[in-house]
Amino acid sequence: MQKTSAIPPTDEAVIRAIAGGDQKSLRLLNQRYGHALAAVAERVLGDRADAEEVAADVLWQAWRQAGAFDRSRGSVGAWLMMLVRSRAIDRLRARAVRSIVREDPAEPADTPDASLEIHSNQRRRVVQAAIATLQDNERAVLEMAYFSDLTQSAIAARTGLPLGTVKSRIRSAMIKLREGLKGLGD
Amino acid sequence: MDHDRLKELLPLEALGTLDGEEARAMAAHLAEGCDECQADLRSFREALAALAIGVAGDGSADRIWQRVEHRFATGAAESAPGAGVINDRPAGRTTDRLARAGVSRAWRAAAVAASAAAIMLALMSGNYANQIVAIRQEDSARRAALDRQARALANQLEDRNRDLAALRDQISVSGQLTQAVLAPDARIIRLAPLAPAPDAAGVVAVTPSRNHAVLQVAGLPQPPPGKEYELWWIGSKSGPVKAALFTPTAHGEATVASTLPPAGEQLLASAVTLEPAGGVDKPTGAMYLKGTP
Repeated sequence: MQKTSAIPPTDEAVIRAIAGGDQKSLRLLNQRYGHALAAVAERVLGDRADAEEVAADVLWQAWRQAGAFDRSRGSVGAWLMMLVRSRAIDRLRARAVRSIVREDPAEPADTPDASLEIHSNQRRRVVQAAIATLQDNERAVLEMAYFSDLTQSAIAARTGLPLGTVKSRIRSAMIKLREGLKGLGD
Repeated sequence: MDHDRLKELLPLEALGTLDGEEARAMAAHLAEGCDECQADLRSFREALAALAIGVAGDGSADRIWQRVEHRFATGAAESAPGAGVINDRPAGRTTDRLARAGVSRAWRAAAVAASAAAIMLALMSGNYANQIVAIRQEDSARRAALDRQARALANQLEDRNRDLAALRDQISVSGQLTQAVLAPDARIIRLAPLAPAPDAAGVVAVTPSRNHAVLQVAGLPQPPPGKEYELWWIGSKSGPVKAALFTPTAHGEATVASTLPPAGEQLLASAVTLEPAGGVDKPTGAMYLKGTP
């Protein structure tokens, strides 16, 4: 059955509630960002189970450190994405092989919140339009930079491109993205 | 490195791909508290986050939540045995929900223990309760301080890892130079200094069998903001063809991989010029080094 909440709480309100010990808010945070956390981690690690473990690590970290979240340093989404990328890259570095214990679902899946789905679809359309403004070579270098543990020099060495070209493509791609994603609130 | 140059590098900082001197200069500049760059950096990070969030697929949230619940269960099991231990998260209200959720027995036991502790607290005298509240506040402040320390250490670790990555890159390219020089078909071109940098020197090692070429220079001055050095192959038919872009270290040194000279024509010379950042297709700036095969 569809949930009919009046006004969904802002991300900051969710984080404040988590800092106050509200597990339901952590679950809401997972509904909002779980997919994205796992998607980013999977692109870095190339393994879905590992990626979901990293996503859970990030939510657990959010649970423990919600009180220290500082809005002036960025949005909740940016904070979570920074955490997941950093943790996924750490795991990649460690090259730890972990056996994932799969458990039967402990609780039936929540019916997705309709307002959340609409919000996600709108967001996805804006992002896809922003990505479409990038040239293929800009997109390729940007993806390599975001989803790997490579420095600009390493990217240049791997692609055979001059370092200055790597820099200029990343810079141009980032500026286009920022422009295209303007107005996409958290 | 001045503010404008660093501002141009902020997209790369947001991605964490800066290395070497640029990474160090950026860290120092941000630590000085440049509000403009901090705000710009935040906006790039927000764009990256929006990108990641916007392209994500569906279907994993429930599995992730199971893993989170597992952590709750594990964490609760660790703290439950200590009698009188009060979780700093509200405990009582979780019992029903978790029972409904069918989570592990250990977690339920822990939740019951925590609920009992909360009831005990309610029954205690005011003074004793106040003491416990004070201890909890102190404990909370101590944990916050430890969190801050942990974050600072994590940042330091990130810096060190970045330095290490830059060093690895440098070693890797230096290794390529050694391999290029030692190859049986290695062709070495010495680059002599020209008027703009009379103390500079350079060498290019071209190894067709390994399909690579490496340039090493020393004594080059730091390029002004918005400029980079560019290496050129000068062929008999095609004229100057760009080979590599680079910025030397503060000591004027650089070792960079470059493209091979154009195939099927005679290589007349190789040269280094100063060009706009990002490079140009044909040389426009002053020539700093030049050599013939």
